[in-house]
Amino acid sequence: MERVFLDSLRVFVIVVFLCLLFSPPAAAEMDAAVRAVLKEHCYSCHGPEKQKSDIRFDTLPTDLIQERAAAETWHDALNALHLGEMPPEDEPPLSQEGRALLTGWIQGQIDLAISEMESTGGRAVVRRLNRSEYQDTMVDLLGLDLDYISNLPPDSVSPEGFKNNGAVLSMSPMQLEYYLEAARKGLQSAIVTSGRPEVSLHSSEETVADKGKGNYTNRLGRVGSFVARIPGFPDEGEFEMRIRARAELVEGKGFPRMKVRFGYRADTQAPAEDVAIVDVTSDEAREFVFRGRMESFPIQSRSQSKYPGMLTWISNVYKDGEEFQSLQKVTDTNAKGKKKTKQVYVEDPNFPKVVIESFSFTAPVFSSWPPEPHRRILFESSLREENEEAYAREVVARFAKRAFRRPVEAVEVEFLMRFYRKVRPTVKRFELAMREVLAMTLISPDFLYLIEPGEEEKRSLNEFELASRLSYFLWNTMPDERLIRLAESGDLRKQEVLRQETGRLLDDPRSDRFVEQFASQWLDLSSVDRIAVNPEYYEDFDTSLKPHMQAETRAFFSEVLRKDLSALNFIDSDFVMLNEPMARHYGVEGGPGGTTFERVKLAEGIRRGGLLTQASILLGNSTGEDSHPILRAVWLRNQLLDDPPAPPPPNVPELDGESPDMAKLPVREQLEHHREDPSCADCHRGIDPWGIAMENYDAIGQWREKIRRKDPQSKKREVWYELPIEADAELPDGEMVEGMVGLKSYLLKKRKDQFGRALVSRLSSYALGRSLELTDQADVDEISSDFSKNDFRLRYLISKIVSSELFHTK
Amino acid sequence: MKKSWYLNRRTFLHGAGASLGLPLLECMGLEAASSPRPRRFCSVYFPYGASLPKEGGEGSSWRWFPNGEGGRNFSFNESLKPLEAHRENLTIIEGLSHLKGRKMGGHDTADIFLTGAELKPGELKNSVSADQVAAEAFGEATRYRSLSLSTDGGVGEPTRASTLSFGRTGQPIPALNKPRVIFNRFFGANEDSLKRQRKELMSSGTMLDLVLEHSKSVRKKLGKHDQEKFDEYLDSVRSIEQRVERSEAWLDVPKPEVDTVGLFLDADENTPEEYISTMYDLIYLAFQTDSTRVATYQIGNMNGATSIAGKFPELLGLPKNMHGLAHGWNKKGGAEALGKWDRFLAQQLSRFLDRMKSTPEGDETLLDRTVVLFGTSNSNTHNNNNCPMLTAGGKAIGMKNGQHIKLGADVPMSNLLLTMLHSVGVPEEAFSDSTGDLSEVLA
Repeated sequence: MERVFLDSLRVFVIVVFLCLLFSPPAAAEMDAAVRAVLKEHCYSCHGPEKQKSDIRFDTLPTDLIQERAAAETWHDALNALHLGEMPPEDEPPLSQEGRALLTGWIQGQIDLAISEMESTGGRAVVRRLNRSEYQDTMVDLLGLDLDYISNLPPDSVSPEGFKNNGAVLSMSPMQLEYYLEAARKGLQSAIVTSGRPEVSLHSSEETVADKGKGNYTNRLGRVGSFVARIPGFPDEGEFEMRIRARAELVEGKGFPRMKVRFGYRADTQAPAEDVAIVDVTSDEAREFVFRGRMESFPIQSRSQSKYPGMLTWISNVYKDGEEFQSLQKVTDTNAKGKKKTKQVYVEDPNFPKVVIESFSFTAPVFSSWPPEPHRRILFESSLREENEEAYAREVVARFAKRAFRRPVEAVEVEFLMRFYRKVRPTVKRFELAMREVLAMTLISPDFLYLIEPGEEEKRSLNEFELASRLSYFLWNTMPDERLIRLAESGDLRKQEVLRQETGRLLDDPRSDRFVEQFASQWLDLSSVDRIAVNPEYYEDFDTSLKPHMQAETRAFFSEVLRKDLSALNFIDSDFVMLNEPMARHYGVEGGPGGTTFERVKLAEGIRRGGLLTQASILLGNSTGEDSHPILRAVWLRNQLLDDPPAPPPPNVPELDGESPDMAKLPVREQLEHHREDPSCADCHRGIDPWGIAMENYDAIGQWREKIRRKDPQSKKREVWYELPIEADAELPDGEMVEGMVGLKSYLLKKRKDQFGRALVSRLSSYALGRSLELTDQADVDEISSDFSKNDFRLRYLISKIVSSELFHTK
Repeated sequence: MKKSWYLNRRTFLHGAGASLGLPLLECMGLEAASSPRPRRFCSVYFPYGASLPKEGGEGSSWRWFPNGEGGRNFSFNESLKPLEAHRENLTIIEGLSHLKGRKMGGHDTADIFLTGAELKPGELKNSVSADQVAAEAFGEATRYRSLSLSTDGGVGEPTRASTLSFGRTGQPIPALNKPRVIFNRFFGANEDSLKRQRKELMSSGTMLDLVLEHSKSVRKKLGKHDQEKFDEYLDSVRSIEQRVERSEAWLDVPKPEVDTVGLFLDADENTPEEYISTMYDLIYLAFQTDSTRVATYQIGNMNGATSIAGKFPELLGLPKNMHGLAHGWNKKGGAEALGKWDRFLAQQLSRFLDRMKSTPEGDETLLDRTVVLFGTSNSNTHNNNNCPMLTAGGKAIGMKNGQHIKLGADVPMSNLLLTMLHSVGVPEEAFSDSTGDLSEVLA
């Protein structure tokens, strides 16, 4: 393990850390050097003779794990040091080294004490399915793509940024109430009670005019929409829309994008929801087929209908970043010679268009009746006629096995049947009783949680627990039938089978969910949503680009995974993943025309490659006006090196705000100003340079040669000035790097193994659904070393984690 | 302001038509007309403190607190000027903070705003919040015990909570953050027949009973850490069982009919003005229809790293996000920039107070029977003392208004929370680390 630790503070923490690896986790004896600093600077007031404020350091226990009261005193001392309150002004000041030694020791001990208190013994804690796992599981279990989670509150996030950490995910009565509601809603759709329904059909070739003024047309350009009014429709069931459309392409522009929205409810003002957004890539007309569930869209209440039908809106949401006034004033002269001015929509000939040739709607669509989800639960059997209760028991047993992801014991089925016997007499129809009984399985802890029963000792997972751990890791959902079968036969534990299954899961489209979840959480892609881009600085920036930025990073992660590339591509790569909007954002010409991401080889002069140059990362760690070198540095150290700097201590003193020209200083000098204060300097020396090296990328991730800033003191903020960029930085270990290129090559040269280990830690933490602890470090080291030997290939790493002791242990 | 936030009054009255012509509220609750009029508890929190330049110094017209020594003849500075119309309805309190909060990190104290607990490193355990003490006392009188809202929603993480409400054992209560979900929960009509609803509730009761029994046997098979975590689930089942019973009792009382006109139910974090005003509107409607008597709203949490509310000021055209403004208060022009955000929050509060004040309740008003706490847990960034806060309303339930008071640093904020509880009729002798009532706000 090659880890170069830079400032003395870190070195010290690591020394403590390593000592602990080789000794039972008791607090380390205080280092003689630390003791010497205390003796020299503190004992005179807080020692044998005097005990100002009742504090005496020579006898204060140094075992912060056992001695809680002492821990608090040490914590107060740390704060006093950070604040510069101690030593007092009339005493000799601490040297920089002495201060670092002392604060490093205290912080290290506090961290240890905290991790000891928070420890769960290196075992996964019973883990609730998080929102997205619950959604995907419900979809797969019921075979119905409904929104099950719109009411559920957001999940809490672990210290590593993950949303699947059992210790952090909580439960509340309101949540349980919504689980029950979602279960009933899903089962009501899955289990039908009616006979084969009438099918509604509607088709049209011309748009209708919706209420009010608007540009209703079949040719959709910069403005305009095609509207279809569907007079008859069911409230439930699957619908199908067939839209025949072609593009009118424009040389040098991307493909037009067709957006279809459906539904509206007047009394609750529920707006239409998206059915689909797709690129229309050809001048030849083709048919687009979309399916959805009526229940997922706002449907006009029939009792207080204000319009006779469901509306579908189709528009073109392609953006070319150009200005064109579509609504123009035109002056006409009529027959009597009178001039009349009116507003008309004018087509922009340079804008790619979607032309709608026909629209048709069918609902409900089903290949059989009852539909597939129904028959999967209420399977056909003569038993139903012969002995309803026996049939119910069979239905419940089969469903519970899938829902609980393991074989169900007879007593558990009997439990559910007790409920059945209570409910059945209260309802006329068998189906209604079954909906309730199955809803009970869906609020049972066995469904809502990944439960791994056990005593205090660690133990190996059983086959079914292993199957679930694997499928939630790589699919974000329940195991499929094959995995359950392999668990039943016991084969899943065979390394060879497990390796094959890992491969199979990764090759299955469901692994897109892993990419989506892991990449978003590991890299904190939601940061993009938290930043408001200031339009004064970026006039042309369109907020609708943000999802493309996030998608770029996910597509990049996906490419590395799918092609089994080296994870070092995350640091630097000779290709990028681009779609048309992102290519335009980066100024790359001749890239893809649509919104699908494609691999593009980096040409000369394109200053991209790796994660650090991606707009999602750069924007997410900016102020929305300018870069934020500190945020970017913290992101790099946390996400890529697993070495997050300590959070700022409480009561951070303000920088000298009176320095009037701060805003006019280049970033480097602003930060230097920052580091004049010794209590800031300790940490910031290890932070700032990483961010400075990225200064050539502005807030929205575009390359820049100059920093443009507005003068905050001019009242209307309209005075601009420019500052040169200085992106050469001295990294904490003394190495000089020049800009992003230098930074990336430094990382590849000097920090490759640290990055590898960081990725191993984060991916393991995600795979296990818990934070890693000291006791896991040996396993992590072993995996890291193999990862490094295997060219840092991502698929190899996943396989390695899945076969590790860690993954197989509760 | 470019858009009128105000509900069209006629539309609104039309929407709330069920209650017209009758003494307000009494036709809606379970209580008979003879029972005492309701008392209500409301608390709104904003993060990172407020603009507090020195009196007479640079930017001092943007000082959140009024200048001077306090008393009745105070004059508002720019930040709170939108509340001028309500000067007789509020008390501005200077000097207060949670004593234990002063030991905590500067960004850690949103969690304890209504609890007064100390979150110690390693365990981070909170205690019950004042709103939930009130909900325990009189939550049974209404369809919902309490309403907890926040912009970020959920519970967040300890020291970065995204809710103000904590239950008896200190467990966080998730806050709702989607206006449409809140609306549907409180006012959404259930389109099923009463008979069917009753059947479903009965079924829920039996189901939960059995689930509880089964879960207890699951618990026995778990290790210690797992059991601790699993208890959250068991507690939730028990509590939702009680809720089902309550719902049965409420079944014959139709949910109040409230029109959605004028509400921005699809407002989200990209439209702060519509969003915050709609959250206030929902609290107002919940009070006005007596759907609950306890409400909290956290406008933003102090998680600079994850709070979606952080960008609100920028979306309103101010130069920085919440955290950035708060950090910059003592820089050139910073007091004004932060002050403008403070003023925006005061405008939103003022609008809420307008609506509360203009809704009669017998010979009093909704506001007179509601005690509102509006405040923060920092003075300026990272400092957990002298926190800007004010109380409003409650004239008919013992609160004293029309003043600016200045308190010594030794007064615990829990005294204020205790006094608020007393004013809403909760006879607790103490709350958290309180040492007694805050007599200055008592009439």
